[in-house]
Amino acid sequence: MALECPRLALDLATRGLASGQECAIAIHDSDRRRQAILDCNPVAGRAGVRAGMATSAALGLVTDLKLIPRDPAAERAALERLATLCYRYSSQVEKLEADNALLLEIGGSQRLFGHTREITQCLERELLQLGYRVRIGTAATPEAARLAARKGLHIPPGARIGQHIARLPLDALSLEPAQKAALHKMGFRRIGEVLRLPRKALSRRLGTGVVDYLDRLTGARPDPRKGWRPPEHFCSSMDLAAETSSSQALLFPLQRLVTELCATLRARDRGAQQLAFELRHEQGCEALQLGLQQPGRSEERIMLLLRERLHSLQLTAPVRQVSLQVPRLLPFEILHESLFADESGTDSEGIRSVLERLQARLGQRAVRGLAGVQDHRPEHSWSTRELDEPATCHSMPHRPVWLFSQPQRCRIEEYRLLAGPERIETGWWDGHDCRRDYFVVQDDTGRVLWAFHEYKPQPGWYLQGLFA
Amino acid sequence: MPRPGEHLARTLPGIWQGRSLRRNLATLPTGHAALDRQLPGHGWPLGAISELLTETTGHGEFSLLMPALAELSARGQWVVLVDPPWIPYPPAMSGYGISMERVMLIRTRTPEESLWACEQVLRDIRGGAVLAWHDDPGFTRLRRLQLAARSALKTGFLFRPHTMAHQASPAALRLQLSADPPGTRIRVLKCQGQRAAESIFIRHSPHLPGKTRPVADPEQDSAKGLSRPQSAPMETHQPYAH
Repeated sequence: MALECPRLALDLATRGLASGQECAIAIHDSDRRRQAILDCNPVAGRAGVRAGMATSAALGLVTDLKLIPRDPAAERAALERLATLCYRYSSQVEKLEADNALLLEIGGSQRLFGHTREITQCLERELLQLGYRVRIGTAATPEAARLAARKGLHIPPGARIGQHIARLPLDALSLEPAQKAALHKMGFRRIGEVLRLPRKALSRRLGTGVVDYLDRLTGARPDPRKGWRPPEHFCSSMDLAAETSSSQALLFPLQRLVTELCATLRARDRGAQQLAFELRHEQGCEALQLGLQQPGRSEERIMLLLRERLHSLQLTAPVRQVSLQVPRLLPFEILHESLFADESGTDSEGIRSVLERLQARLGQRAVRGLAGVQDHRPEHSWSTRELDEPATCHSMPHRPVWLFSQPQRCRIEEYRLLAGPERIETGWWDGHDCRRDYFVVQDDTGRVLWAFHEYKPQPGWYLQGLFA
Repeated sequence: MPRPGEHLARTLPGIWQGRSLRRNLATLPTGHAALDRQLPGHGWPLGAISELLTETTGHGEFSLLMPALAELSARGQWVVLVDPPWIPYPPAMSGYGISMERVMLIRTRTPEESLWACEQVLRDIRGGAVLAWHDDPGFTRLRRLQLAARSALKTGFLFRPHTMAHQASPAALRLQLSADPPGTRIRVLKCQGQRAAESIFIRHSPHLPGKTRPVADPEQDSAKGLSRPQSAPMETHQPYAH
């Protein structure tokens, strides 16, 4: 199967627009001296802009035309992403960068995914959802498939290729323009006529390359291709056609990026755990880090977290470009749910999703667990921990339930002594040594507090805890 | 003779008769017998929010909940603390029987975020308890929290200053706590069923340090001036020379 993206540059530019935001966009070729329009979207086309027109002429026709230069690097990156998506349907994918096309071997996938037609429809639908328009064609040999893609044909595998393409005009072939012109001058108009020619004569006139190509086209000669391996990371960016400074309007292009990421993850059977979003504006860029508790590829979950994060984001300048990078794709496991809901127990999946949401909005360190540390000094004998670390805590029932974050100085005359003293003298190894006598005291209102008298480093009376 | 409506009150969960305490509520035993007797269902209502209005914080309102939290912890359920006023000390909580494996501490930056975090935790973690300290959530917000607690069968405890007692609140149980040394005095402001007329006294005893001797005569010590509580145990072991 061959997949061609004839208008990749335009697709990349219009991907970020919601359907309501139509504006005239044209892609121009920035290499040549005379800048010409390469492609334009329907809105611009209705106004009269055509391919091949000079940019100045196009601007004259439509004053608020957005001219976007063609970016080959972006197109290559997009092709790489498309190849990763197609990896789901076939394990042998080849990229043809010169023509923005992909070749897939789907003979082996037909059993799983269905007939060629079904695969074609699936792929077209999936890619259209992401904003890419493609032409698909199938045939038994790679070259014939490319030809079929140009014309939208599906040549059944058992048939003779020569018969099916006989009626097509000559410029469907992938030959040099000079060779095509020569064949045209000789009077040939259809591929079938060229295929019937004697090979020796053809090779003498036009060179062995043409004969080689025709052999590979019809399947007389094998055409081995090198397979392509998908990368272990994901990187995608989108230029926004209209600068936007409202975080709600950013949701649509970000959703497109996340959809693409999730499709890629499904194709590779991987999960993502750390997502790095970047919103680029004039003065710089804002980075948004999103972390999941477990590698996941659920689009709804990521969008939910993203919405929470965007809620609290303040944009300082209008955003021009959004990008998403996932540096590592991790192996993904589907969690199995038990058939019978467990009434008394808690569900760890629910805890995880709540944790993700809380951390997305409140910050990474807002949600912590507690643990005890073996140390005699009360302020060092506890610590916070990440919730998935093990928690061990020694039990000290005679300690106060509340601890003040800093010991507060106090005047001990105001308090009534209830119990004490308890000497704690320790900590010489890390420089925070202390010698303290702890007492349980009560104040006038009846609160029971934990006070200590410190001998060193700072002598005096302090309150440290509350028995409440 | 069975009173009219008694049969309905017994069978349908949403109906109760004003004169009697509800018996068929899902509750969590408080661990204090005097309190259990006066509460409908003999315990903290499960799947609902109980408001604890305190005059001043630090009078035993937290340790009041400890037996119930220990019970939840023993069942393997989560205890979540949202913006407590001070640091909850893990060894002391362990001493009451709460396992640190299932304790979550959430610190937020604004009261709005605090309420949002409460709602998320109430809604999505089944079972367990949420303890929140918030002055004035507002009636509608509190109603949402109550509904969230009911859907997930969670027990919510909200600590508020007692000045909010006059405000209407949709909480299932409202208690007013005041200090009454050596314990706490509890008045039931609102509950589902007949309210207890008199207030309940719960004596709370802070677990005193075991190894030391309690000071025999508090008046004598205060007369001496507590700035120098030198007594024999301290002078004997002095590993460092001053």
